[in-house]
Amino acid sequence: MGVNIKNLSILIAAVALAGAWVGQGQADNEVVFPMPTGPLYVKECGSCHTAYAPGLLPARSWQKMMNELDNHFGEDASLDEPDRLAILRMLTDHAADNPNANMLMRRVAASIPRGAAPQRITETQLFRFQHDEVPAHIWKRAKIGSKANCGACHTRANEGRYPEREVRIPR
Amino acid sequence: MMRLLALLFVMTTPAWATTPQQILDSLVQEARQTQSGFTASVSRGEQFYRAKQTGGKEADSCASCHTDNPKAEGRHIKTHKAIEALAPSANKQRFTDPAQVEKWFRRNCREVLGRVCTPQEKADFTAYVLSVK
Repeated sequence: MGVNIKNLSILIAAVALAGAWVGQGQADNEVVFPMPTGPLYVKECGSCHTAYAPGLLPARSWQKMMNELDNHFGEDASLDEPDRLAILRMLTDHAADNPNANMLMRRVAASIPRGAAPQRITETQLFRFQHDEVPAHIWKRAKIGSKANCGACHTRANEGRYPEREVRIPR
Repeated sequence: MMRLLALLFVMTTPAWATTPQQILDSLVQEARQTQSGFTASVSRGEQFYRAKQTGGKEADSCASCHTDNPKAEGRHIKTHKAIEALAPSANKQRFTDPAQVEKWFRRNCREVLGRVCTPQEKADFTAYVLSVK
């Protein structure tokens, strides 16, 4: 098999594909979750708290949550039916266990027991593991105040981005 | 066909077509249906905004989350997420969408007072928040 144009182009294509695949792998390690597009999700789910990435919980969690919006962690977060259904669709389409989930989301899905439909992201095993080095007094800082306040430290949480190098813990 | 026209109308009407003043006017109209001759009062609205309420949950006044100054950035009492300023003089998005206004009255009145607000309370509250320059 001598070096000719055909073999060379197969080699180049193979290297390019491998590069693209490795590149994809790095993106998976970046702790980035896909977010629903359009203004509705952030408008309705990002006023009182961070617009959480749907990939932080499995679809069954979101289904339960969206059926109990009139008592949403003690508050009335009810929506009209068209918006509720549209948002439920966005959540399940981007949930941790959706068929197109990235490696990170699969890890989230795998860490949640099959029979469980957790409602608080902060109580999931992966969240606790990722935050176990954050001492209690840091959570109490005025600009953080709550574990639900992702955006206080994860500067681009509203874009579904949680990589460690983007973390800025406020004083 | 009419539905299509209606849809087209909705789609072509920009979100900013409603002004805060128009929203206040329609709240006043609504208040007059149950109390004839009603006029909105900035000072009653301010009192309502600051009053400590009972019957609600964790937030016991509007100011709990929106702070004493409607022009300032607020903070959600539980999640601590920043809440953009409420007064249109500081935030042009506020009081421009009647559906949004209704939604937040419905939710927040239930949260703070444990009941729906009366049309008169809503009109007074809005008159106050719009008056903050």
